[in-house]
Amino acid sequence: MKNYRFILICVLLLIAQVFLDNYFPLRRYVLISILPAIILLISLETRSIVSMFLAFAVGFAVDFFSTGMLGISSLALVPVGLVRGAVVGLVFGDELSARGDELSIQRLGVPKMALASLLLCALYFAIYVWVDSAGTVSFWPAALRFVLSVAVSTPVCLFAARLLRP
Amino acid sequence: MARAGKFWSGFITAVIFIGLEIAAISLLERSSTLQNIWINRASHNVMAATWGSLNKVRGYFDLRAQNEILAGRNYELFKELQQYKELEQMARVRARLDSAQALPSRFKYIPAEVTAMGTNSRHNYIILDKGTEDGVKPQSAIITPNGVVGMIYSVDKRYSYGLSLLNEKVSVSARIGREGLVAPLVWDGSGSDRAILKDIPLHLTVEVGDTVRTSGISAVYPPDIPIGVTLGSRLIDGSVNVVDVKLFVDFSSLRYVIIAENPDRQIIEKMEE
Repeated sequence: MKNYRFILICVLLLIAQVFLDNYFPLRRYVLISILPAIILLISLETRSIVSMFLAFAVGFAVDFFSTGMLGISSLALVPVGLVRGAVVGLVFGDELSARGDELSIQRLGVPKMALASLLLCALYFAIYVWVDSAGTVSFWPAALRFVLSVAVSTPVCLFAARLLRP
Repeated sequence: MARAGKFWSGFITAVIFIGLEIAAISLLERSSTLQNIWINRASHNVMAATWGSLNKVRGYFDLRAQNEILAGRNYELFKELQQYKELEQMARVRARLDSAQALPSRFKYIPAEVTAMGTNSRHNYIILDKGTEDGVKPQSAIITPNGVVGMIYSVDKRYSYGLSLLNEKVSVSARIGREGLVAPLVWDGSGSDRAILKDIPLHLTVEVGDTVRTSGISAVYPPDIPIGVTLGSRLIDGSVNVVDVKLFVDFSSLRYVIIAENPDRQIIEKMEE
């Protein structure tokens, strides 16, 4: 039952992400993404290999339904799937996965969840902004876009995390 | 066992990660022109850097073979140059004597590689990889196109032992300029790039920067081989001058040399006796 709820909210969040990608007017200056939160909150029992495949599929689905470039979200999200386990271990400690618990904002607290979201958002947007610029944007404007995107997306990811695993 | 399992698990994860990233890049390359150009340019840069590095590595391993080819070519050119020099000298002598009679080429040249060399004592030696089997004889000169290296002292079947110019026992008859003063050049032990011309009479002045060559007044050394350049003169014991000479040969990096043998040496020395 819990899983069905998780999958349903995931699908709704992906639809919201497609809408954001298609209709958010300030995409040239700031990007908003909830995809790092979806990858962070999939079950802790999931191995890195499966996380990476899920990340690829989620990125592909969002790109396919957006007007964006096919492959760019997958390219940025697969590394998030790879380092997800390490970030969880680093921020929440190894006991969490050893106990078989799931991530939850109420149990683990907002600061730790915010830190994990921040790290994954930073990785995601570092790759996304770099590839999206394709060598046509100079360093400082790209860096500003990266900082703004991480600053805006981290709270959005926290909100998505609250919906996915309250 | 657990460690091996961990290694293979990590390896498979890395392979899948790279595979998924490549798949994403190829999707991106097909869907966007700008990204396509950017990715192509990046891949060309990577390819160029890879090929450049491979060529550098290959070039490094080819260096020895290239060195040997260059040394061989150097030897051929040197031989040719010596023939021209001798022809030029013959022409000069002919002009002076007004004689049409041709003079025979005096020296025979053998290329050799330095096997061992000492530079740290006052009696330095040099060992070359050519011996009697190659036609090397004692009392032959060791030279390079850059200058005099020393003299063969004794010869084995396959190796020869020589006294380097950096040996106080070796003396070379030298001339300042092409037609200038002749004096013995010896090593005074002051440095591996220095020697002195001794017994210079006080009334003769020597210009700084003149080239010092072999005089040709010797049965051992071919004429006009450059030795070094004059640095200046100084008074010794109030009676004679010595001239400091900076040697052209860099003994620290010496590897290929030429042995010059005068077939008429014994006849000349017998006549001198």
